[in-house]
Amino acid sequence: MRRMQTVAVLYKDEKDKKLWETTLKGIPGLLSITVNSNLTVSLERLRRVATSLRLVILSARLYPGENPELVARIRNLCPGSELLVISSSGEPSPQLMPLFVDNVRNLAIGTPEGGRSDSEYLPAIVSMLVDRSPWEIGSCLREGTPIHSFQLDSTEDKESLIEALEVVLSGDGEEYELLRQKGALLADELLENAMYDAPRGTQGDKLFKKGKKRDMLPQERIVFSFGFDGETLALKLTDSWGSLEPDVVMEYLARNQDDGSIADDAGGRGLFIIWRFLEQFHVNIQPGQETVVGGHLHLSSGLDLEAPHGFHITAH
Amino acid sequence: MNSQPAERFDYFALEGTIDAQSEGYFKDLPAKVRFSLVRFDFAKAGRINSMGIALLLRCFKDIREKNKAEILLEGLSPMHTMLFKMTGVFLLASPVVSGASGKGGMA
Repeated sequence: MRRMQTVAVLYKDEKDKKLWETTLKGIPGLLSITVNSNLTVSLERLRRVATSLRLVILSARLYPGENPELVARIRNLCPGSELLVISSSGEPSPQLMPLFVDNVRNLAIGTPEGGRSDSEYLPAIVSMLVDRSPWEIGSCLREGTPIHSFQLDSTEDKESLIEALEVVLSGDGEEYELLRQKGALLADELLENAMYDAPRGTQGDKLFKKGKKRDMLPQERIVFSFGFDGETLALKLTDSWGSLEPDVVMEYLARNQDDGSIADDAGGRGLFIIWRFLEQFHVNIQPGQETVVGGHLHLSSGLDLEAPHGFHITAH
Repeated sequence: MNSQPAERFDYFALEGTIDAQSEGYFKDLPAKVRFSLVRFDFAKAGRINSMGIALLLRCFKDIREKNKAEILLEGLSPMHTMLFKMTGVFLLASPVVSGASGKGGMA
């Protein structure tokens, strides 16, 4: 029986296909299309399966650089499909402003050789997008890794939570020291975002000034979770406001990437920092109910400013 | 955080976490600058979050605009350096190259 094609991937050419096919070959219902300069024929192949498609994957060698109009054409053919751009870690990070303009909210970074982490990670991301399911903190950790979760009572809890994270990341050597510093900064930004940026009034105005000590409101729930399996650190912050908007997140990332802004009041600098320090950055929003922000990084991640980083920004 | 006026330059040694709690310190700092060269020492500074970055940017802009002073940064950790690169701090202040971070000239 022929399997229904739910995922399509568009490569630029055979060389591009070879780069990714090992990593993507296990994905069920995958239709591979190699454009080879003939976009019209490729889009016709896509059109034939458009009704069953849940996800279209685009190589960054095709979009946005060479074919900036490609997303608009695919959306026209497959309006019900989610879009994911895949880019090699060996190539420069795609410019985010075209993705923001086209409302493309998924970017995955893979290693050129299709390493072990990719062979697990990319199929999991594809499955998440096909199923329209939210990101789970345990998905990037070894099975059985304990997840530590803390519900905040007060803004005063921040430093003790950061200390608890640093204890879990105890280890000798430069890599561990750097991971502790990155983990502490990520926790700080995640917690500050939930404690001061998420709470909004009925007109969308911020309720609390940064740095002001306060207890959580009776109906407010902020939960900080993390897990470390010896190689990968995953962090997750859940707040009960659901006030973050997907477009705004994308705009923050794109504008901060473009500007290298020195505006002292540049919006979204905290989210931009979180994205740049995580290997993959996840935001899941249930408007008015819940926002989840998190992701993972590795002990061996290092500090490469030019390294591309992925993101997945979803709303349910 | 300590400040030690230098003979030919101002010198400020920053300590601990730089975040929203540091607002008062950085608001008052530009008024203390007396020379056309200002050195900031981050060797004892810890975590700097996005609010801390915003305060540094505001402070450095004030110093450059009102005092017409050059700003040098020393004692930066790799984390500080990466953060400053990605947020534009180095557009306002220059890192002191390794081996040139002596505190000579201080009062």
